Amino acid sequence: MRKINRKVFFIFSLLFFVILLGSAFAQQPAGDQPMEYRAFPYIGSRQIMWIAAQLHLMFAAFILGVPIFAVIVEFIGFYARDPMQRLRYDKLAKEFTKLLLIAFSATAIWGAILTFLFITLYPKFFNYLSNIFSPTLWIYPFLFFGETFTLYLYWYGWEWLQGEKKKFHLALGVLLNLFGIAVLFITDAWTTFMMSPSGIDEKGNLVSLWKAINNPLWMPLNIHRLIANIVFGGSIAAAYAAFRFLSSKTEEERAHYDWMGYIGNFIAIQAFIVLPFAGYWFGREIYAFDQQLGITMMGGFLSWLWIIQAILIGIIFLASNYYLWIGMERIPGAERYRLYTRLILLVLVVGTLVWATPHSLVASLEEARKMGGAHHPLLGVLGVMSAKNTAVNIMILSTFLSFLFYRRGNKISRVSWAKTGVVIQGLILFLAAFIVVFYGVRGYFVEAIVRIGYSVYQVLAVLSAIILTMILDIFMLRNAEEIGPIRWGKMPPRSQYALFLVAITFTWLMGLMGYARSAIRQHWHVYGVMRDTSPEAFSPTLGFAADMVSICVLLFFALVFFIFWIGHLGEKTKILEERVEEEVEGITTAKLKGGYTA
Amino acid sequence: MNGSNQFIGLKVVLFTLIVIGIFTYYANSIPQLESRPPQELSLSKENLTPEALVQAGKDIFYGKGTCALCHAIGEKGPRAPDLAGIGARAATREPGKSAKEYLIESLINPTAYVVEGYPPIMPAVNKPPISLNPTEILAVVAFLESLGGTVDVKPSDIPSETSATPTSVAPAAPASLKLPGNPEAGKAVAEVCVQCHIIPGVGKPRRPRAPDLSAIGAIATPDYIIESILDPDAKVVAGYPAGLMPKDFGEKLKAQEFMDLVAFLMTLKGGSPESSEPGKGAQPAEGQKKEGVQETKASSLPVPEAKPAETEKKEGAETQGSKNPTTGSEQNKSQ
Repeated sequence: MRKINRKVFFIFSLLFFVILLGSAFAQQPAGDQPMEYRAFPYIGSRQIMWIAAQLHLMFAAFILGVPIFAVIVEFIGFYARDPMQRLRYDKLAKEFTKLLLIAFSATAIWGAILTFLFITLYPKFFNYLSNIFSPTLWIYPFLFFGETFTLYLYWYGWEWLQGEKKKFHLALGVLLNLFGIAVLFITDAWTTFMMSPSGIDEKGNLVSLWKAINNPLWMPLNIHRLIANIVFGGSIAAAYAAFRFLSSKTEEERAHYDWMGYIGNFIAIQAFIVLPFAGYWFGREIYAFDQQLGITMMGGFLSWLWIIQAILIGIIFLASNYYLWIGMERIPGAERYRLYTRLILLVLVVGTLVWATPHSLVASLEEARKMGGAHHPLLGVLGVMSAKNTAVNIMILSTFLSFLFYRRGNKISRVSWAKTGVVIQGLILFLAAFIVVFYGVRGYFVEAIVRIGYSVYQVLAVLSAIILTMILDIFMLRNAEEIGPIRWGKMPPRSQYALFLVAITFTWLMGLMGYARSAIRQHWHVYGVMRDTSPEAFSPTLGFAADMVSICVLLFFALVFFIFWIGHLGEKTKILEERVEEEVEGITTAKLKGGYTA
Repeated sequence: MNGSNQFIGLKVVLFTLIVIGIFTYYANSIPQLESRPPQELSLSKENLTPEALVQAGKDIFYGKGTCALCHAIGEKGPRAPDLAGIGARAATREPGKSAKEYLIESLINPTAYVVEGYPPIMPAVNKPPISLNPTEILAVVAFLESLGGTVDVKPSDIPSETSATPTSVAPAAPASLKLPGNPEAGKAVAEVCVQCHIIPGVGKPRRPRAPDLSAIGAIATPDYIIESILDPDAKVVAGYPAGLMPKDFGEKLKAQEFMDLVAFLMTLKGGSPESSEPGKGAQPAEGQKKEGVQETKASSLPVPEAKPAETEKKEGAETQGSKNPTTGSEQNKSQ
């Protein structure tokens, strides 16, 4: 308990100190010439802020995403009928929470570093934002404290709140998530205000705090980040499991971490399927708030960024599907679907290629002349939103199909309407694919304003198909006959590298998207209100951004690796202590029995 | 397994480095673009030719003004209409308005007329985030006039005091000066003016006989307004006859009333009076009203002078639709 108190005290003191320092800096004496910017030695202000913000965001995303599914897993265990299953899920939820616990301090430390840097390097900007959002700055540390305190109660009360008290433990988990979501929503208000400032007059003075918080991009980013955090948390947890799987020494350990990796990946990909829809809503609201902001994002200097995004998402889809297909080899009966997986692979590859096709090709003058312009006569047709939207929606449907096959790999439905159910499922998926392709093709023949609206139909078709098919599947596989049990642990090492690939790619993608969100403001701290007049008031190239993102991702993984290693050391010490205790107990028992001879 | 998992940490690190390396290499191998903040245009009146002004306007059109993001010239854009021939058409859009006057209004109050089929998405170019200064707006007008019309922006139109440096922190507004006068009191004085002029928030005549003053604060300087009240015929807006406005109107006002009226007119920026959102137009701040002081731009655009020779023709000309040529597609009809 002393350990918890020390940690809580440390984190809370750190935050309190940051707020105090911020207030002191923000209240500059009247008459002083306000300092606008300070330069950070050697590295530069922009770069150091970038690293601090990105690392804080990555850790924060992890600690906000993991509790969501840790509690869900715990709930599944709680309601499981089989005691073994109950224990298994409970153990898994606890293991997820353990990762969370270790990353929590790192989040707080990087948050403090970010705040210190912000206050000292951009004092005037910080002053402006703190003037707008001061009440939220006061509430924020208390929410964070509440989250920290609840987390420690949740973790350390795990064994204590079992049996009859389990419901209290679950309630603590829910409370932990509520705190986490509140913290996320507050920080999102600060972030989105910089993009779509509201609740202020023409001079930038605050008129309504609520409007400043509830600015046009607030809720879209809240939802987008909430889902993305689940994906991120799931993928990092899966990568952790993959590492533990590969370094396992016993079959039991391997089976456990194989299962944990599967669950982590399952969570990540299920949430990932929904993420493009949330991203689409976010993008649409950016356009609705300010066309220029939207055009800068999609058609301006950032246009090539979306090609990289497409490739990264394509890799995530391919890697996660690949992992599932290898996983099907340890499921007796799943070989029935092997042919379909090849077709899905083809669809995914074609989809990625279409999505990653640029509208304007990089070409020499001579090549451009031969093509008749910057657009390739054939590929140029694929480089537009109609084709890309169609590709991504079909890829989502295909990935969902992979999950369906995986899910029913070793099962045979016992319901009388099983065949009809399969036909209906097929028809639903086919109809969704048809709607997606139909609106994709039709998009070429209508005005842009009409075409934009078509994306909504495509998204609705895919989402509806996924929900309907899943509902049918649940009913069809209820009390299904099992061909054989899944052979957990029987996975080749390459399957685990697919999990690493998903985690690395998603983390990198997160960094890239952070750059996109920030760069569309261009030379504005607060878009249209507060201009950036520092020497770094420009948006760097994609190459530079990629270098920065890579540095951040490497630092993040290095820190994660270090943190998990420390956690592992703790485990080893615990095992050693237990062994010593056992030996001492053995010696004592032997002595008591008089069987010990020195 | 035991043999292979000895170096598992190293393998994972290597794998991570390779994957990140590939991503980084790819991102560095595609076209590299940097977004630099736009430079303020500052033109010297001396040796300023119409060609130079048009060229400057073209640069702004494709650069700082970000007009080309939506507008195309010679082809219909997906978000905004084709601007080919706009120089010729602008003069015929609104009776009594010259091309220059009409284009200025279209740039600073683009949502006044929204073209069917296009959403009202064009931002006011004199407000953040575009924040074109008066010189830059005139340069864009000159460029647009050159698209099929006659460039009549003169060096004398260029205001001598153009804000050359961008503001650093909120609010990102041009340099300002304090005008004595209470806009709120000036609003009451302006009730007389609505017999002929349209004045938002005050009233409008059944048949407007004098120019619409909805955006006068954005397109005119205080000096210009003062002169127009004291000597109405010194500069007459194209399309309106001279001698319509009483010459003794200014003399009848008390000094305070006069300043209140000017202060009030300078608040008319063409935006919605209720809006408090940045870039969307707003009423004077509460504090300013109480203090009886109105802030306004130091350098506003001059209202173009009248061209009596053209007045007769334009009065007779039929409006071809009340669409804004910079945001609307109706211009195609007149082609």
